[in-house]
Amino acid sequence: MNRKPTFSTLVVWFYATLNLLPMLWMFMSSLKTNAEIAKSPLGLPTTFDFSVFAEAWEMGGLGTYAINSAIVTFTATTITLTVSSMAGFALSKLNFRGRGVVMGIFTLGLLLPIQAYFIAQNELFELVYLKDTRWALIVPYTAMGIPLAVWLLKSYIDSLPKEIFESARVDGASDLAVYRLLMVPIIRPALVTVGIFSVLSSWNEFLLALLYVQDDALKTIPTGLLAFSSKYVTDYQMLFAALSMVTLPMIVLYVVFNRQIVTGLTQGSVKG
Amino acid sequence: MKPTSKFGVLILVAPAVFIYAFAVLLPFVGTIALSFARWNGFGTPEFAGFDNYIRAFHDTVFVSSFGHMLFYIATTLVVEVAMGLLLAGVISSGRFMGYPRVALFIPVMLPMVVIAVLWGAVFNPDFGAMNAFLSAIGREDWRQVWLGNPATALPAISLVSGWIFAGFYMAIFNAAFARLPQDVIESARLDGANERTLFWRIKVPMIRQVSSVAMLLCITGGIQGFDLFYVMTNGGPYNSTEVPTTYMVKAVFRDMEIGFGSSLSVILTIVGLVIAIFFRKWRSTRQEDVEY
Repeated sequence: MNRKPTFSTLVVWFYATLNLLPMLWMFMSSLKTNAEIAKSPLGLPTTFDFSVFAEAWEMGGLGTYAINSAIVTFTATTITLTVSSMAGFALSKLNFRGRGVVMGIFTLGLLLPIQAYFIAQNELFELVYLKDTRWALIVPYTAMGIPLAVWLLKSYIDSLPKEIFESARVDGASDLAVYRLLMVPIIRPALVTVGIFSVLSSWNEFLLALLYVQDDALKTIPTGLLAFSSKYVTDYQMLFAALSMVTLPMIVLYVVFNRQIVTGLTQGSVKG
Repeated sequence: MKPTSKFGVLILVAPAVFIYAFAVLLPFVGTIALSFARWNGFGTPEFAGFDNYIRAFHDTVFVSSFGHMLFYIATTLVVEVAMGLLLAGVISSGRFMGYPRVALFIPVMLPMVVIAVLWGAVFNPDFGAMNAFLSAIGREDWRQVWLGNPATALPAISLVSGWIFAGFYMAIFNAAFARLPQDVIESARLDGANERTLFWRIKVPMIRQVSSVAMLLCITGGIQGFDLFYVMTNGGPYNSTEVPTTYMVKAVFRDMEIGFGSSLSVILTIVGLVIAIFFRKWRSTRQEDVEY
């Protein structure tokens, strides 16, 4: 094996650093006044005044957007994991009529992009008065996450020996009891992977959030930030502060949980 | 196993099926139905036969939006997938790679809208980092209104996409390289193969299946790409970055042409499904020559 850093190692280090520059620039600019930004866009900040962050959070409404994102993401992910693990368990270990059909419609769901159904979904949500409520996002985020979650959890449960379940059955447990007492603790690692994918997709989703929620008090971070950027279109410092406040906590979380997040995102996207 | 009771199965399966059927399957069928209708969102939809489809194929903006999509896909195959493969090659065989591995993946997890707004600022003609950098190195003449110029807007967006996803494909390829049997690689090394030969002659051919999955992901991702386009240019200037998704959203939500928009949606879905099925076939016919 190589013991010394090679030339290509240095190139990759340089490239990685180059990639971080836009984010560094963003953070730097959030500490500069608008006059400084306009005069020398690449200059270093001279003062460290963090009050603009508080202003963006309160007056700019970032706090509200963050809370909305948290509510929508948490609810959608919890429902997705619950119903998908139940269905994944039944599809993996129980023989019932209609199982093939259920598998078939979920497989179709793995292939359908959001563009295939959002137009009629919009009309449907209008019809049942879901639009401009938090459920307008929770329901589709859950529904879109289900096929993948079922598929990943089912393959995980497939790999577990069926003797575990049969012995519980001999002890007289019903299917629901087996699911609740035995299944949920065993599949925890898979739930974490699927959960990370679900959290990040809900947190970052834009198209449906843009179309279904116009009420500023209910907007999530992606659409909220867009509203923010048109409201403060000439206040560059505020814009950079808002961008920094959205990205920095995510970067910290990512550095701490980087292995789980990389696994969650790559497995979730590749889906076999 | 045989279920203990039918009711138990129903409780386990019904919630997932119901939510999914309500919010995805039903709207999917509904969109297909609407694509044969003339409807502005109010009143009763009229049956329009294939009119919407005929109109779509004669719509020059829609047809050219496929050209932009193809350009975007072709570019991202290079700046995302090929770049990711090269990065993974270096990262998997060298030491001191923790930093680039972690750093390059950061943009993948951030909201695309945030990235789009950030890069909109980077490309800003007045205070953007790009033009400031060009001035700093004495190339005033290269300064551009990057996103306002039809010649540079689409390449700029594709570049941002590469900035986001090169790290994603790097992670996928890196995981694939890590699964390769070590004995093959060690024996190639003993036979005197250097890292470069090892990469091109042994590692890359052995992960061909992963590469085809990555290409498919990049292509389907390109067909569905929306966020960057909407936020950075919204199809402009002069429709030079119009892709099918942005045009579809305009048709439905700006022009209230719901039937027409639905036909665009169906066309785009069919294109995506055909490519996915084609790739799966292609992969399975080549399966026998790839062994792990």
